[in-house]
Amino acid sequence: MPAGPVPAAAPDPFAPDDVVWQRISPRYATAQRTASAVFFGVLLVVAVVLTVLLTRWVGSAVAAVLVWWAWDFWLVGRQVPAWGYAERDDDLLVVHGILFRSLVVVPYGRLQYVDVEAGPVDRRFGLAKVQLHTASPGSDAAIPGLPPAEAARLRDRLAARGEARLAGL
Amino acid sequence: MTGPRAEQPPGQPDPGQPDPGQPAVADVPPEVVARLDAPTREVLADAGWRRLHPVTPVLRTWKVVAAVLAVVVGQNVDDIWRLQLPGWVLTLSVLGGVVLLALVGAVYSALAWRRTRYRIDAEAVHVERGVLWRQQRRAQLDRLQAVDVVRPLLGRLFGLAELRLEVAGGTGSKVSLAYLREEEAQRVRNALLAASAGVVVAEGQDAPEAPQRDVVEVPPGRLIASTLRSGLTVWAVLGLVGVGIGCWFAGSLTPLFASLAGVLGLVSAVWQRFSRGFNFTVADSPDGVRMTHGLLEQRSQTVPPGRVQALQVSQSLLWRSAGWWRVEVNVAGYSGGSGSEAEQSTVLLPVGTFEELAHVLEIVLPDLGTGDEPPLEVVLAGLTGRDREGGFTPVPRSARWLDPLSWRRRGYRITEHAFLSRGGRFLRLLDVVPHARTQSLALTQGPLQRRLGLASVVLHSTPGRVKPRVDHLDEASAAHLLAEQAVRARTARAGAGPERWMTR
Repeated sequence: MPAGPVPAAAPDPFAPDDVVWQRISPRYATAQRTASAVFFGVLLVVAVVLTVLLTRWVGSAVAAVLVWWAWDFWLVGRQVPAWGYAERDDDLLVVHGILFRSLVVVPYGRLQYVDVEAGPVDRRFGLAKVQLHTASPGSDAAIPGLPPAEAARLRDRLAARGEARLAGL
Repeated sequence: MTGPRAEQPPGQPDPGQPDPGQPAVADVPPEVVARLDAPTREVLADAGWRRLHPVTPVLRTWKVVAAVLAVVVGQNVDDIWRLQLPGWVLTLSVLGGVVLLALVGAVYSALAWRRTRYRIDAEAVHVERGVLWRQQRRAQLDRLQAVDVVRPLLGRLFGLAELRLEVAGGTGSKVSLAYLREEEAQRVRNALLAASAGVVVAEGQDAPEAPQRDVVEVPPGRLIASTLRSGLTVWAVLGLVGVGIGCWFAGSLTPLFASLAGVLGLVSAVWQRFSRGFNFTVADSPDGVRMTHGLLEQRSQTVPPGRVQALQVSQSLLWRSAGWWRVEVNVAGYSGGSGSEAEQSTVLLPVGTFEELAHVLEIVLPDLGTGDEPPLEVVLAGLTGRDREGGFTPVPRSARWLDPLSWRRRGYRITEHAFLSRGGRFLRLLDVVPHARTQSLALTQGPLQRRLGLASVVLHSTPGRVKPRVDHLDEASAAHLLAEQAVRARTARAGAGPERWMTR
């Protein structure tokens, strides 16, 4: 999503006028790349070993892994800046995706519980993920790549707001 | 609520039940109490622990024996024959095995029965169970989503039934009381619903149970015809024909045996559909909509008002000439069961005419909020109309690239109280979501949609068959719809009735 003012002629449906997006930490891209480096590294080693042991034709698999890795590297760099969230008075907005874009509106009153999760890689980079849960499995709203303090703040805030507006099912 | 529960000796009936109407029912509003008959009042008044019916272990044992036998015999039948034992040895060992199994099962079931008890007060249902791992469960009554009374075939012989409460806490949140005497199951159900309802506002409701008004009965003939005309049957027939041709060409029965599992699966699916829908009755009562159905296993489901999260009306191409409709609902908690179980519970009307559909809609969604327009016309337009008929907002013409067949059917309509989403040219669909029941919303857009300037709006409902969404809307109006719907859902929620539906 381009930064700066959007031309009035074609308002972006994924950026309502009155919304100021909070972006996630750019470190999340590095964390993601590290995680995929581990994955692709293993894959590459396997491919190389197979090439040496079996036949040179497996070498194309090495090339494929490299291309996939490069694609993933590039994609993460694009995806991370596209994540955003905004706390409005009554609901939380989460936007993400470049090719398949999605904007989720989660009313505070509908929140059943909020998780803060951090995997080993995320922890190393000082990041955490806030996962929102409503009574619907469809509202899969998550905000990754938050500094732990911000994640905790968001969780508490959401919990407090949710309590104030709780409305059963 | 306090009760003389700790000192109550096990295995004995509860001591001194208070007279019906005594203030032991203090927490339940008197209006509710007045509505109930004496035995139901006793259930509420008696804060002590109760037990399941003593025949329960027998039924459980039988279930265990049958299940184990089915598995063991089914898998080892060849080996057993190969042993070539003399007949009496075989008979004796089989009999011995069954007796041993039954003994173990009986002892365990008896222990389990002894250690299971339940208690109902005005706030919650408490259940304690478990032989080695003890479990105490407290299900809050104002969170009650549905109550089912299930009478399995074997239970019916003994006049026993299982009571199931859905409280919408995710998988395994179901509270099951199996087995109770049928009358007791019904009494407990009525008491639960009354306690859960809060207060009765209407007068003259001192009937034995919330007066029930039969609205729709599905005649068996129509059920059979509709089952025969379902896609499932078409597949079954196609499969059988395919197998027949295969057999003819192969000159042997090998293809039949090879595909036996698949064929049996299809046949059993058709049978299930029939036996579940058998004698289907939908009734209206102040406690909510009540569905009774089943051929071998009979169920009576009660879904209190406001517990229907979303609803879908559908009609396949084969049903069109007959004018039949099927109604399914999302009820929080019902999806927690296994696949077929969940499917079974969420059918509100397996097959019905438009008139019957109208009746059913009136119970579940009494006020669509269509203003001056007759709500049925809006519903009809949603079911059969296209483009702008019935005040629906259609999708733009560019949607035809993504959905060439049914783009003219796609569309949505917003009434004061509900969101209607229409679609499907061959399989006609209409989803209805009350604004107050929307969980969250989403706007999504794929690369092709983006090129065409389209976007989809998704309404998130509780888990279930109905997944309301409108695809391929004009992106600007989709964004607008999302913003508006968020506000609408919020205001509707603020004004929605309380969880205890009689206190509204």
